[in-house]
Amino acid sequence: MMAAHGFWIEAWRRYRRRPLAMAALGFVGFLMAVAAFAPAIAGTKPVLCRYKGRLYAPCLAYVDRRFEPAIFAKDKFRGTYPKNLAEKDPESWAIWPLFFQDPYRAVRADEWPGRPENPAMDKGIPSRSHPFGTDQAGVDVLAKMVHGTTVALLVGFVSMGIAGTIGILIGALGGYFGGWIDAVTSRVTEIVMCIPTLVLILAIVAIIEKPTIWHTMAIIGFTGWTGIARLTRGEFLRLKGAEYVTAARAAGAGPLRIMLRHILPNALAPILVPITFGIAAAILVESGLSFLGFGAPPPSASWGSILNGARSNLAMWWLVVFPGIAIFLTVLAYNLVGEGLQEATDPRLREARK
Amino acid sequence: MPVFFRQMTVRASAPWLWAAVACVAAVVAAGCSRSEKGRLVAEPEAPAAQATTTDARQSAPPEAAFEPPPLEALDRDAKWIDRPVKDALAVLREQQAKEPVLGTVAEALALKNDSAQANATILSALGRLPEKGAADLEARIDRHVAGDLGSTNPILISSSAEFDILGLTGFGLFSYDRTLEPFANAETVVSWQTSADGLYDKVVMRDDVVWSDGKPITAHDIAFTYRVIMDPRVPVPAVRTGTDQMKGVHAYDDRTVVFFHKEPLATNVWNINYPVLPQHVYEGTWEKDPTLKDSPEHVTLEEKPISGGPYEILSRKRGQEIVLRRRESWSQVNGRTAREQPYFKDIRFRIIEDPNTALLALKSGEIDEMILQPEQWTTQTIDDDYYRLNTKATAPEWVSFHFAWNIGTPFFADRRVRRAMSYAFDHDRMLEKICLGLYEPCAGNFAPGSWMAGPKRLEPYKQDLDKAEALLDEAGWTDHDNDGIRDKEIDGQIVPFEFALLVNQQPFRIAICTLLKENLEQIGVIANVRPVEVTAMQEMMQKKNFQACFSGWGSGTDPDTSENIWKTGEMRNYCGYSNPEVDRLFAEGRRELDRNRRAEKYARIQEILYEDQPYTWLFWRNSFYGFSKSLRGYAFSPRGPYHYSPGSGSLWKPRAE
Repeated sequence: MMAAHGFWIEAWRRYRRRPLAMAALGFVGFLMAVAAFAPAIAGTKPVLCRYKGRLYAPCLAYVDRRFEPAIFAKDKFRGTYPKNLAEKDPESWAIWPLFFQDPYRAVRADEWPGRPENPAMDKGIPSRSHPFGTDQAGVDVLAKMVHGTTVALLVGFVSMGIAGTIGILIGALGGYFGGWIDAVTSRVTEIVMCIPTLVLILAIVAIIEKPTIWHTMAIIGFTGWTGIARLTRGEFLRLKGAEYVTAARAAGAGPLRIMLRHILPNALAPILVPITFGIAAAILVESGLSFLGFGAPPPSASWGSILNGARSNLAMWWLVVFPGIAIFLTVLAYNLVGEGLQEATDPRLREARK
Repeated sequence: MPVFFRQMTVRASAPWLWAAVACVAAVVAAGCSRSEKGRLVAEPEAPAAQATTTDARQSAPPEAAFEPPPLEALDRDAKWIDRPVKDALAVLREQQAKEPVLGTVAEALALKNDSAQANATILSALGRLPEKGAADLEARIDRHVAGDLGSTNPILISSSAEFDILGLTGFGLFSYDRTLEPFANAETVVSWQTSADGLYDKVVMRDDVVWSDGKPITAHDIAFTYRVIMDPRVPVPAVRTGTDQMKGVHAYDDRTVVFFHKEPLATNVWNINYPVLPQHVYEGTWEKDPTLKDSPEHVTLEEKPISGGPYEILSRKRGQEIVLRRRESWSQVNGRTAREQPYFKDIRFRIIEDPNTALLALKSGEIDEMILQPEQWTTQTIDDDYYRLNTKATAPEWVSFHFAWNIGTPFFADRRVRRAMSYAFDHDRMLEKICLGLYEPCAGNFAPGSWMAGPKRLEPYKQDLDKAEALLDEAGWTDHDNDGIRDKEIDGQIVPFEFALLVNQQPFRIAICTLLKENLEQIGVIANVRPVEVTAMQEMMQKKNFQACFSGWGSGTDPDTSENIWKTGEMRNYCGYSNPEVDRLFAEGRRELDRNRRAEKYARIQEILYEDQPYTWLFWRNSFYGFSKSLRGYAFSPRGPYHYSPGSGSLWKPRAE
């Protein structure tokens, strides 16, 4: 007799049998790796360097500008490292990113010894030194896309993290307690459903002083939880009558314990599905906003902003094709993951398959 | 055709987002603004400039006690000096006759405009007025505008589209030619005289001009319109500037009107030029509804305005098109030919906001002309597909762009900091990489070569990061806390040098701001580029609620029009600039009637501004226009091919062979 597996292990086994879903998961993993190591993959600041006897990691400036060691500003590096390192400390050494191109500016002539200036305007057709071409300002598209991966993934995870937390909380309260609490939470949910996210984002971007990508994520998160809340409420309604819940209640467990310990783990699988789809939707919204020029302030490396650059000159096809493919694949991958998850965890679908 | 001098807002063709006219306002097309008259002149490229109505001066009601003296007394004392009365087309014809012919029409049509010489040939051959009988008088022209009209009422105009339409449908006594020399319009005026002391202008009108409803246009209409414009209850956005410098306007009979000035100013010739309303139509309605827009009568008039010019509005689809039809009662009065017919039977303005969409329309022959963006000029209008139906032309224009530094903020109060900003900016790279070498560098507020700019040519600040850093160090902006960003202790608080740079939502402008950001980051200053919608930006600038911004001005026909940008406390002095010497020089310049001595004063102003750098001046935006090959007669002035006289009236299409 086979040992009984836990629900999640069982689900994972079923998930693994679906090649498309596995490929999608692999792709998401790949994106995460790219996002995590973006400053080491493409950039103009050393990943690690030894300068005047000490070790520094200037590439962290891509994560947050404050991480750039002040000594380089003091020594007037002015953002260009290769030459300055050699001139100002002949003893220095550096480990460079794999691809010496900056996501926010055009690399100038001889910035990397012997390399010409990035081509600008419609001259930036993909070539060996710029596999994905350059945009109007001469910024390398590959470097932009590598750093844009961080934005795309962050948008998905942060906004759906917010939406998931709110949605599960509201849905759980309404579904478990019922009565007037349910009435209130359901009405609130319906009200929030009526808020047009895009319009709200446009309005907020116009109001706040320094709109950043975080504002966009917050707005998507705070408006996108309604579907999750409804689903959670349904699951809680269904499960609160289950025998094991009644048993737990009879054993003296409080409502919090029942909700968290007993109902939620069993309700989680179906809730994860809209969250994965939500991630895909959030990425699309962010790309759309950037495409329209309302995304992160320039210079930004978001995929949508690369697409935006193509609007003024459709002949620069590489500004459409590469970010377009990236957005398409990422959204597709999340949808496939969501679908795989759904089929792996939903017993009814499982039965139907057999 | 009349041309009015006031400032107009030209809108930019911004990306799809907003509607404006493209233009300068978009850069290039985008936002700029153009024109002007009187004082307000230069205007930001934003459409919102209309808001400038709040100029303090305008709130003053016309002197109620003004009593015009009898005409005999005036004629006795005034010592009238005759002023020019000209036919605009004849003036242009004369000017063109002196220009060398650089090629035939066929040669020019076969050319690609890829060099200065090709451009000159195209303008020379295709820019000429028609020989007698050569023009197709039944033709229609399809023009492009990037935004719809706010109003069709002549005195409510503000945007460049409204100026365009009013130039064709409005009645006016005065105009100015391609070199911006003012004259009275021979189509409407018999004589124009100015008194020796410069305090009065007397105009005798022709008796054969009629409104489109058949009523004669008289001197009383002109005096009436002045009263309406100066009534503070009427929300006049642009045309009150200038008229507010007059004491009054009085009609002595149907044909004689006298303008009374408060002071003998060099700018009086612009102040007497304003659009005219039909008194018999508005007399009963305007007091009841001073908005001129809300009452049922005014709504009807807005839809179907009474025209005093060569064209009248035939139909209008909001957001899509405005069609004008030639008015036979303009040329034929009482059964005789009073004036030459304008060259087009119909003029259709197509409203297309997005410059890329407009370019598609031009390529397919749906429109006959449009303003081209630099990127369109260099990359999208060079192939045979474009030249199949179209050609293009360029000329310098008095529209300049700059970064404005708000002197009221702790960052830019110090002149050294502003100079450091200018030294930090890679001006050459902007001209070469972003403007693609198409625009002239700009270092000051008056166009090089214009009379007011003086003989000395100012050079833009060249990028010199060492100098910029030294200036910032000197001004106290050093990196005290070792975070790589300069800061300064102000009132006990460490303030990092991080500011927001406002800009319109247009890729070309954003690219320039992004370059500044990159440059400043190299010396430890953080500029956050913040694209904002045009009207929002205008409002922030008017409230001085900004730190720095990218904007532009279309300079006026007269340097005095820029006084309200630089004089202490003026409405459009968005940076809060104040220098008593500049204030004094502007006041003197307006009263100085000798052109050369006036020019010295304005040149001095320009030098002072150059040293103080309240703006980092960037470039002069040339005019870039795409024209259908079927179009002829485009001649450029410093205000583009249309905003002078004859301007758009010089366009024509040849008769089919």
